Order: sequence, then structure tokens, then C-alpha cells
Amino acid sequence: MIRVLMALLAMTSLGVHAFEGTPQLSDPVKQRRYETLTHQLRCMQCQNETVADTPAKFAVDIRRQVREMVEAGKSETEVRQYMVERYGEVILFKPLWNAANSWLWLGPGVFLLGGLYVAWRILRRRGELLASDTSEVTDEAERP
Amino acid sequence: MNRFSTTLVVFGLVVIVFAVALSRAPDKQVVTSALIGKTAPEFTLPNLLQPGTTVTNTTLKGRWYLLNVWATWCVECRAEHSVLMDIQREGKVVVLGVNYQDKDDDARQWLLDLGNPYEFVAVDRDGRVLIDYGGYGAPENFLVNPQGIIVKKTWGLTPKSWLAIRKEFIDGVKP
Repeated sequence: MIRVLMALLAMTSLGVHAFEGTPQLSDPVKQRRYETLTHQLRCMQCQNETVADTPAKFAVDIRRQVREMVEAGKSETEVRQYMVERYGEVILFKPLWNAANSWLWLGPGVFLLGGLYVAWRILRRRGELLASDTSEVTDEAERP
Repeated sequence: MNRFSTTLVVFGLVVIVFAVALSRAPDKQVVTSALIGKTAPEFTLPNLLQPGTTVTNTTLKGRWYLLNVWATWCVECRAEHSVLMDIQREGKVVVLGVNYQDKDDDARQWLLDLGNPYEFVAVDRDGRVLIDYGGYGAPENFLVNPQGIIVKKTWGLTPKSWLAIRKEFIDGVKP
């Protein structure tokens, strides 16, 4: 159990990366916002890493840009929008909630409900079959 | 038998859905940009070849130009350089250089060695202009029309790919 919990923690924790030369922002709220954002933006140079996770040139530039915008009081949404306007939605790891993406968000739920419905039908049929089964149970040993 | 054929039909449908989705999936090699059809961001940056002065793309309105992001550490840029020289020789499209995360002296030496196809070279030391253009490396090329709209983005140019771009956007279109 402990091991599972540790594994879960390891998977969900925001990596703590102290990049050289980037001191914490003085305002803890802004620091938090900066960390959240850099963990949500894709490094376009390295594709499957966030800009917080890599020392690539591109990520360094984006981190600085995010930092400056957060420092200037921009909200998370404003920074994300700024990035999407320039790089497209692909820069966000988490897809936006809009009509085109709705199937991404709703699809799993629809499949789950469909699965539950099928399971419910199978179980109900099995119940009915059992209830309507009037044949007597014969003991294997008594068979001729 | 009935159950078997149902399974088969469902499986067939899944195969069809995947086949259609995969055949329609965008090719990862094709560069798309969120800025196609939008106004090219304006910039004012230090001038590589005349230190102490600045350059800007605002003066280019009314002409076709190709914004070329390059650096001396970029191998593909060296391969692409002769195409840029050809474009400059053709004279239909102005070539602007944005020198990205590089050293001034190295960049100047590069132009002495390989020739200078650029109307001017802007110095983008920390990649701010590149971010504004939704770029993330070198080489990257943005073709801007006389109205100042970005019509095309590519990574490295080859003689063939430039020919295709020129045919599609510039030939036959009076600026």
C-alpha cells in the first residue's frame, strides 16, 4: 500500500527543478503560477517534455517569457493564450475545452457508460436465465 | 453464429475508424503555424552588420519578403544558404535574416565566407522575436506578402521546395 502511494506521489508531484540562474519570484503566488505554467507547456524542440523539464534553448526562452509575463501580473489564462496564439494548441499538454476537442474529453465517459450498459444487460440476462431455469440440479455422482 | 458476426462487424468498424483516422492524420513533417494568415509581428532589433544601429521589418510593407531564422551552429542553415543566395539573385523576394542565439563575430564571418543574401540581419540574441513568430529553432522561414501577412512557413529550404513555394505564392501575382 505504502509503495503504491509512493509511486502515485512520484507520478503526480511537480518535479522540483532548480534551474541555474533563475531565482524564485519574490511573490509566492507568482512563483507557483510560473511553475504551474512551465509544467503545462510543451517544449516544441523536444516534443514530449515540458519546458520545465529540459535545458533546450527553446525551453530556456519560453521559461523566461513566462517568467516575465507572470512578473508583469499576467494570469495563467493570459499566458496560455499568448502561447497558443503563436504556437497553436499543440504547445499545451492539456487540450483546451472546446467543440473540436469535446470528443477527447467526453469520449472516455461515453465508452465507460457504454461498457456499463453492456455489463448491466449481460448480468440481467444471466439473472433471468437462472430464474427461469427449472431443470433440477442433478448430482454428478447419481448420473448413470 | 450471430454473436460471432456481431463481433466481426464491430471489429470491422473499429478497423475502418482507425484506417480513416490514420490516413487523415496530419503529417508530422509538415510545418504548420498558428500565424499563417496573420500579420507578421513587427520587430526592431540590433543590426548585425552596422553595430549601434537597429533594423525593423516595418519598412518592408509593400514588398514580398522571406524572414530567415539562422545561426552558425545550425548545420541545415549552411545547406540552405545557397538557396537564399539564389532568392536574392532572383530579386523577387527580399531576404531578411534573423540571427538567433549566436555570436556576432561568428555570424559576420559566416557571411564573409558564404556570401550575404540578406537585405539586413537582425540580432535576436535571446529569441524574443522567434517566440513572437511561434518559432522554435533554426532554420525557419516565414514568407510575408506585400500586405504584411505571413502566407507560408517552412523549415529549411531546398531549391525544389523554394521553386514550389515561388510557384504557389509569387509567380503570376503582381505585388
